[in-house]
Amino acid sequence: MGGKVSCTLGEVKNRADLIVYWGGNPAECHPRHFTKYSLMPKGRFVPNGRKDRTMILVDIRETASAKAADIFLQVRPAKDFEMITVLRALIKEQPVDTKLVAETGLTLEELTDFAQRLKKAKFGVFFFGMGLSMTRGKHMNSAALLTLAAELNAFTKFVAMPMRGHGNVTGGDVIMRWTTGYPFGVNLARGYPRFNPGEYSTIDLLIRGDTDAVLVLGADPGATMPQPAIDHMVRVPTIVLDPKVTHTSKIARVHITTAVTGISAPGTAYRMDEIPLPLKPPLKSPYPTDEEVIRRIYQAVAKKPPLMPPVRPKVPRV
Amino acid sequence: MLRITGGKVYDPANGVNGVIRDVCIQDGRIVADVEAGRTINATGMVVFPGGVDVHTHVAGAALNFARAMIPEDHLHSEPFVRTAIRRGGISGATPTTYVTGYLYGGLGYTTVNEAAVPILSARHTHEELRDTPIVDKSTCVLMANNEILLDQLEAGETERARHFLAWCVGAAKAYGVKAVNPGGVTAWKWGKDANTLYELVPGYNKITPAGIIQSLARIVDDLGLPHPLHLHCNNLGVPGNYATTLETLKLVESNRAHIAHIQYHAYGGNDWTTMRSESTRIADYFNAHPNLTADAGAVLFGNTVTITADGPWQHLLYKLTGRKWGNIDVENETGCGVVPYVYKEKNLVNAIQWAVGLEMLLLISDPWRMSLTTDHPNGAAFWRYPEIIELLMNADFRREQIKKLPPKVLERIILPELTREYTLYEIAIITSAGPARSLGLRQKGHLGIGADADVAVFNDIKEARKMFAYPRYVIKGGEVVIEEGEVRKTVEGHSLLTQPFHDPKIADFIRPLFQQYYTMSFDNYPVEMERLEHPDVQPCTQANS
Ligand SMILES: [Zn+2]
Repeated sequence: MGGKVSCTLGEVKNRADLIVYWGGNPAECHPRHFTKYSLMPKGRFVPNGRKDRTMILVDIRETASAKAADIFLQVRPAKDFEMITVLRALIKEQPVDTKLVAETGLTLEELTDFAQRLKKAKFGVFFFGMGLSMTRGKHMNSAALLTLAAELNAFTKFVAMPMRGHGNVTGGDVIMRWTTGYPFGVNLARGYPRFNPGEYSTIDLLIRGDTDAVLVLGADPGATMPQPAIDHMVRVPTIVLDPKVTHTSKIARVHITTAVTGISAPGTAYRMDEIPLPLKPPLKSPYPTDEEVIRRIYQAVAKKPPLMPPVRPKVPRV
Repeated sequence: MLRITGGKVYDPANGVNGVIRDVCIQDGRIVADVEAGRTINATGMVVFPGGVDVHTHVAGAALNFARAMIPEDHLHSEPFVRTAIRRGGISGATPTTYVTGYLYGGLGYTTVNEAAVPILSARHTHEELRDTPIVDKSTCVLMANNEILLDQLEAGETERARHFLAWCVGAAKAYGVKAVNPGGVTAWKWGKDANTLYELVPGYNKITPAGIIQSLARIVDDLGLPHPLHLHCNNLGVPGNYATTLETLKLVESNRAHIAHIQYHAYGGNDWTTMRSESTRIADYFNAHPNLTADAGAVLFGNTVTITADGPWQHLLYKLTGRKWGNIDVENETGCGVVPYVYKEKNLVNAIQWAVGLEMLLLISDPWRMSLTTDHPNGAAFWRYPEIIELLMNADFRREQIKKLPPKVLERIILPELTREYTLYEIAIITSAGPARSLGLRQKGHLGIGADADVAVFNDIKEARKMFAYPRYVIKGGEVVIEEGEVRKTVEGHSLLTQPFHDPKIADFIRPLFQQYYTMSFDNYPVEMERLEHPDVQPCTQANS
């Protein structure tokens, strides 16, 4: 069941006549999203821009983004999953439990109208944010919304896309996948990748005290992680590569100042739709790039006797 | 310097058929003789030119999307433990990039063609290919649903279409041009498909799939690209599609064309319950038309994941399987779908697909025009090629396998009647010399003087399946990379690309359209040459006019 039905942002720009933001506040968190990709641009098949598009916001409170919306649907906190389930039934014209409808904080009329709009769109899109994916139900909520989008394709064209956080989170995710097969939560201790989020994710490893050292690159976990995880970073040698002083660099044993990627160091950033953008630095930096520092650490480590023997028998194929 | 001595050499491009002779290597090339250096004693072994895969999916956004969709399958995949020489990773239907290089090298393959690259994410594809060691890599860029190109064809601006296409190949740092379900993916952007070749493409008043196919085949030939139009026909995988395929082949009669994964396009019947093989009709036409080459797209039973730019087909497959479905439409250019899939021996449709793949390989009489592929990972993972070679070389083994199929399949296929057995010489053609020629790579697929020193040495044993799964030695660019079944050295591959001629003024034409339709700045669109690993520009035959 389910799946992930998506597109690049240009498809939204050129085609989307129904735009639904769910559990996100783009007006404040992704300020250029409306103007560059979703609401305002005049697209190939929506030549009048904003006039050709309907925007619906689903959230637990009326955020700044509600002003930009044609319709605001206030769902009761932690009832997104129930609301999506009702919608999945309504689009298929199946009867719905009125008690379940009441729990969502919305009326049957509102939800029926929403379902109709979803089906009638020529090209619809769900952008979902942390309000959906990080609240009760977590990935169950996202999975339900992705399934709703997949199922809407029986009636029209519909896609869904997560609104990712700041920085190049997507880039990290993409590269982890091609080098290890998995997006995050990968353990390489046995010499090959193993995946178990909840066991091998960073927070869990730190809280359990499983690591002997910590290398922090392009992140500030000292500002966001739970205290036991931070305590472990204080306990073991923690090395931070960052252009500036951060919460993490203050508790680290070593802070190596690096050039700022995109400003004084070249590289690639992956957009939230996984399109890679080249970063062309306008300035030069006296500091080394992250890549250079890692390469030098790697070279120094490579001089030590290998952990693994030079050739290991291949695990036979079965 | 290196000498391989005592081996039985199969070098079809130079007419060498199992002759015991030395192969000498110096500075990464085949030479007449060497005076010193290492000698490999290949007595009792056979020597092939390194394998060439004309159609595979090993890198880029679509494949990487698939990797994320099947973590439960990765758990059962063969792990590759890190050593001082080799990086860790996993195998399976979508191997990690480093492991892809080790696995291809481990089969004696030294060149692969990544068959589906959108220009918009070509930078991503090249980043992954950089992380794919041992093999040389070429790519085909997706053009048959590119809306700026279709706009030019609609307006009758064929000249401008040619310059635009040439610019796109250069921008994507691609080698060739791929057409996937022409017009159908464009239709899919509105949730529709193109089921016949002569219907109008939604959003257009003049162009049809047929028109797109003819224009693209002509443009590719006019530009003198070394590889013909790489064509994924309309109605892939659908019962009764052989008629569409035949019509398509007729459309490109006066041009060259490479028909991708022909197995998926040779079905009769009206629906899934009446589906049957029509391999004979396709092969008969194909055999009589030397302008065509093809690859098999053969299927093997087991677990895999299907990945294609053919969005509407993937939606159909999702509706049939009810399993996971991934889809990414790429602005203005193409689409992409991902559906995990299991080919089951006892399933009527799957059994027919398995048979049709082998039938096409056995019925197309000229091995030079038919390459071995599974459309990796669509029909099966590429590392299962030795199983197909066994099926081709051993008719008894084939009969044993046919016995396992559901009996009612037998009246829908002709495989049981086919007695042909491939020779080693023919295997060397369909795995190396043929695909190299089809790709137009003159340095590849042979062991003549001056060729790239890509060589595979196998034990000369009866079971082809074992013989080709574990080469004794693999030499890439003159370096021994595989020895006794193990990676001994990893080398970086070359990026093979073409730079077909285009009027430099075409960029001025594209720039404003680009700003209007895309979400990336025009200057960031072309992939910088510095991002390619060892770029190796191959010549086009067209004069700069
Ligand atoms: Zn393919």
